[in-house]
Amino acid sequence: MADLLRDIAYVRSGDKGNVCTCGVIAKAPEFYELVLRTVTPERVKRLYGDFVKGAVHVYRLDNIHAINVVMEQALGGGAPTTLRLDQTAKSLGHALLRLPVAAERG
Amino acid sequence: MKDVIRLGAGAGFWGDALDPAVELMKHGDLDYMSFDFLAELTMALLQRQKLKDPQAGYVPDVVSYMQALMPLARERGTKLVSNGGGANPRAAGERIVDAARQLGLPGLKVGIVEGDDLLERLDELLAQGIPFANLETGETTLAAMRNRVVSANAYIDCSGIVAALAQDADVVVTGRVSDNGPYVGPIMHEFGWRHDDHHADRIAAAITVGHLAECAAGVTGGMSSRWAEMPRTGEVGFPLIEFSRDGTAVITKLPGTGGRVDQWTVKEHLLYEVGDPRNYLMPDGVPDFTSIQLDEIGPDRVQLAGIRGRTRPDTLKLIIGYSDGWIGEGMMFFPWPDALGRAQKAKDTLMERFRRLGLEAEAMHFDFVGINMLHGPAAPMPDYEPNEVGLRVAVKTATRDEAEKVRRACSNLWIMGPGGTSFGTPVKPRPVISCWPTLVPRAMVEQHVTILEA
Repeated sequence: MADLLRDIAYVRSGDKGNVCTCGVIAKAPEFYELVLRTVTPERVKRLYGDFVKGAVHVYRLDNIHAINVVMEQALGGGAPTTLRLDQTAKSLGHALLRLPVAAERG
Repeated sequence: MKDVIRLGAGAGFWGDALDPAVELMKHGDLDYMSFDFLAELTMALLQRQKLKDPQAGYVPDVVSYMQALMPLARERGTKLVSNGGGANPRAAGERIVDAARQLGLPGLKVGIVEGDDLLERLDELLAQGIPFANLETGETTLAAMRNRVVSANAYIDCSGIVAALAQDADVVVTGRVSDNGPYVGPIMHEFGWRHDDHHADRIAAAITVGHLAECAAGVTGGMSSRWAEMPRTGEVGFPLIEFSRDGTAVITKLPGTGGRVDQWTVKEHLLYEVGDPRNYLMPDGVPDFTSIQLDEIGPDRVQLAGIRGRTRPDTLKLIIGYSDGWIGEGMMFFPWPDALGRAQKAKDTLMERFRRLGLEAEAMHFDFVGINMLHGPAAPMPDYEPNEVGLRVAVKTATRDEAEKVRRACSNLWIMGPGGTSFGTPVKPRPVISCWPTLVPRAMVEQHVTILEA
């Protein structure tokens, strides 16, 4: 039984300006629906608190059973300006793996 | 004419390893080796170097890499394409020609691609009414920032690379061409494609494989979520692309090298630093990543097919770098028992020191290393007693003198801090060059190609 997103998905995280982008890839096709229900903009916003100040978008890639999470104003100004150590957000997206997996439907 | 061309990745960033590139050059039977040396903030750093020395401003690695690879490439008929010219492709090209002469490679041709650098033209373009609104902050005009600008480079398409290859360049060196341009250029040149509707899907495929290969080991086992099962990542093989005229491609690597190529390494890198995956906006075109059909067709072989996309946009991304004050920072560490309590006390002590020193901060940030430095509010407080905890502070200031106060205050804690306070080397203040992302009409940016011969 999957408890956390870490049990059902891989991630790769990076930056574009002040935006953090994070690919979330289902470890198996049967987990894709769960990933979609687990990673919603609302849950991502709540997870990161004031680390992510802007909007969160979740894009689907049904062809590879993956989603792309785009978090705006998420880097404290962007790589050259931010006061954080993780300037290019390589680590930041990994926190998504903490999200509790949404309950199975039905 | 060839129906399949073979492209190898030679570098994924300034600072990458040379040995996997040499290995791939020797054994990959390559038509091209492509190199991406630039990141978002690299151009501003290089532009500042050029201001101090008109012969500097390129990525120094580009010369040493070409030095190591040109003799091998000439024997094999492989062409070398990079964006390592940075803020000074002409100087880079001249140094590469010097190196070719010293290596005894007469007749070797180096193509220099310029035109991305709009710094000298910024006022002219502003006068023409281009506002350069900030795409991120929504600030509508650059005018207030104008006197702090240090660099302005457009992300140009691969047209200059294609033109240089058409003039028989053996080595091509550009400025701020897009990261995937050193891959897309050779493909468009070999297959004679134009930036039109008819070729849009195939160019989208070329951009997609360029995107996958441009970080080199990023698609062959580096940065992997499956790090624990990646073999010999210190001896990783760089990606080798077999790109077909029909717009399909295979990503692989040399047999016997470290790392892996499988559906997971490819999926992970496909989504690396991407916005809307249906609209991956690049100067050469706009791939739709949701159209990709991805199949493992053999050991360390992944095929990409079915890629669709749109023609290139009428505007180019332009990154303007501007001076933006200083950052002062410091780090100190605290032992068990009650390591986190010591770190919290040290934070209070630091704040008292900042007040005494009259620090004028534009912004201030504290981390507890080992607790929340990487994930901030997303990290729960530990329900155990940590063996050690660090305190990191970073402060944005207007001037170097203010940033220096941060270093001073951190040093004060050597004795004023709680028992057990332990330090590394104090961190020097660093100047900040921020990025101002904006757009410029494509029509305003003209590429120029110069061919030099050794």
